[in-house]
Amino acid sequence: MSSPLINQTAPPSTRKKRIIEKARTTTPGDWLALGFLLLLLAAIGVPQLLTPFDPLEASPGNTLLAPTPAHPFGTDYLGRDLLARVIHGAAQTIGASLIAVAIGLGAGSVLGLVAAYFGSWVDTVVSRIVDVLLSIPGLLLSMMVVVALGFGTLNAAIAVGIASVATFTRLMRSEVLTVRNLTFVEAAHHIGARPATVLFRHVLPNSYTAVLSMTALQFGSAILWIAALSFLGYGTPPPHPEWGLLVSEGREYIVSSPWLTLLPGLVIVLTVLSISRVSALFHDTREVSE
Amino acid sequence: MRNASGPGFIAARIGQSLLVVALTYVFVYFILFALPGDPIGSRINNPLNPIPEEQAAAITAYYNLDRNVLEQFWISVTRLFQGDLGFSLATGRPVADLITQGLGETVALAAAALVLALALSLAIAAAAVLAPWGAVRRLAGAFPVLSLSTPSFLAGLLLLQVFAYQLGWFSSIRDEGAKSLLLPAVTLAFGVSAPITQVLIRGLRKAYGDPFVTVLRAKGVSEGRIFSSHVLRNASIPALTLFGLTVGELLAGSVIAEAVFNRSGLGFVTEQAVRAQDGPVVQAVVMLVAIIFTTINLLTDLLYPAVDPRMARRRNQRQPTTGYPPAAAPAIERPSTVSEALAR
Repeated sequence: MSSPLINQTAPPSTRKKRIIEKARTTTPGDWLALGFLLLLLAAIGVPQLLTPFDPLEASPGNTLLAPTPAHPFGTDYLGRDLLARVIHGAAQTIGASLIAVAIGLGAGSVLGLVAAYFGSWVDTVVSRIVDVLLSIPGLLLSMMVVVALGFGTLNAAIAVGIASVATFTRLMRSEVLTVRNLTFVEAAHHIGARPATVLFRHVLPNSYTAVLSMTALQFGSAILWIAALSFLGYGTPPPHPEWGLLVSEGREYIVSSPWLTLLPGLVIVLTVLSISRVSALFHDTREVSE
Repeated sequence: MRNASGPGFIAARIGQSLLVVALTYVFVYFILFALPGDPIGSRINNPLNPIPEEQAAAITAYYNLDRNVLEQFWISVTRLFQGDLGFSLATGRPVADLITQGLGETVALAAAALVLALALSLAIAAAAVLAPWGAVRRLAGAFPVLSLSTPSFLAGLLLLQVFAYQLGWFSSIRDEGAKSLLLPAVTLAFGVSAPITQVLIRGLRKAYGDPFVTVLRAKGVSEGRIFSSHVLRNASIPALTLFGLTVGELLAGSVIAEAVFNRSGLGFVTEQAVRAQDGPVVQAVVMLVAIIFTTINLLTDLLYPAVDPRMARRRNQRQPTTGYPPAAAPAIERPSTVSEALAR
């Protein structure tokens, strides 16, 4: 069993050196993940360039075709090209996940920052809110919010966002508490910096790295939760091509046409895997904490 | 100095849990019934499925929809203490009946999944740390990320496709008793085992790096014995903190597992209730899960010093550093979400 201390090289000093070092240690798997994410970006930005087919146009003569070069993912029960539906669905699923993470990150950071900075009763109130949010499993919490708000893509995104507020709040609070008591923050106070300056110039930038790496993890879970909500039928309504909904539609034909379930499912897995892989790349550039 | 396992600490910790459950009830109530999108109101005014006048009047009277929110809340709390959970809006049946009817099946499913998850996590963590082949170690080490990236509905559908439709080992329709519990339990176990495996791998690696292992080897203790009675014991203590999280995830995950495998437990009741915007049922399910989750976390916090004596010592040395009352501060590092468990 080799000690982790032996394998550690000294962190390269300049930013440029760090990037070169990074590129050298990047494995083929990392490049694949990066390439897949770029492909997804293209699918969100210019889906019509990646596929000639319309994701909503039914083609009665071509229902439930097996994958062929013309239809690499086959066609569904209405004859719609599945690859086109997966490509156009990227914007739905990933867009909703981005909204969810933005809500969680935004609300969570503000709550955590306020709690840690003001302390006393503010901290107590925020900590109790966090306790309450954490006492309900995320998926169940988002289902509950969906019951209150109604079904739909945006409502599912808001629900998943609310379900991830507590994680961000807790992390932000603990990071700010650590940084707030460091000597350079004390020094800033002593040379007469205003509280807002200390908070935004000194405390926030130094407590944000951990929160950002949590953002990547949470983005992956947001995709899975959004897909789960629409798989159950609470999210994006048909005929829109949301990924979870595609798996759910394919489920009816799983015996005769398993690719209708498998391929969209595989795209979800690859997306979440790629995100965690790429986020690990950026994660390593910050100092080793353990 | 306050004794960490003394009556004062236990009372404060129990009080904190009761407070969390009470606040959760308030939160759930106001999300479900006080937001503009009122499920009872929209149920009555549903244009597609209108409710007869007198039935609507009865519902309005029972839920006191003509009173203001605070009065309604007070009436619900009073009824709760009388053991009245209200009625399902979709089926009209008492909520308590729906819950108790589905609970047994889901508890059996969750228990089977928990046992499977522990076995799976232990096997994979041991392979990731101990396997003599590098490829196996890397593959097992990649399991948590893979499990975490796979939607549980996809895992369930894959199992169904392979073992029920292709191989024909299980029936997808007939109830075959304990046998039909297996596939949904594997689905659930696969989903919740990622954090446990990750924590076990980390624990095993750390324990093997500790000097006591060298001492045991020098004394001539066999590798098998070092693993089973020393290293594993040390490594599995942190996994105890994941118990509450795991049970919560199992109960929430049962909604998907039961939907995929057409089972009729609590998860199915929840799924139907969400679909029908059935507020009272959703409220009862969420509260039940929150109470189970909070109770397990309370128990693990109280039992932790007994399992790990070092913890009791450390806790006694604790100095209050913030304005946070020390008795209410989380005594152990307990991740409450999957992301937190993996980020550590």
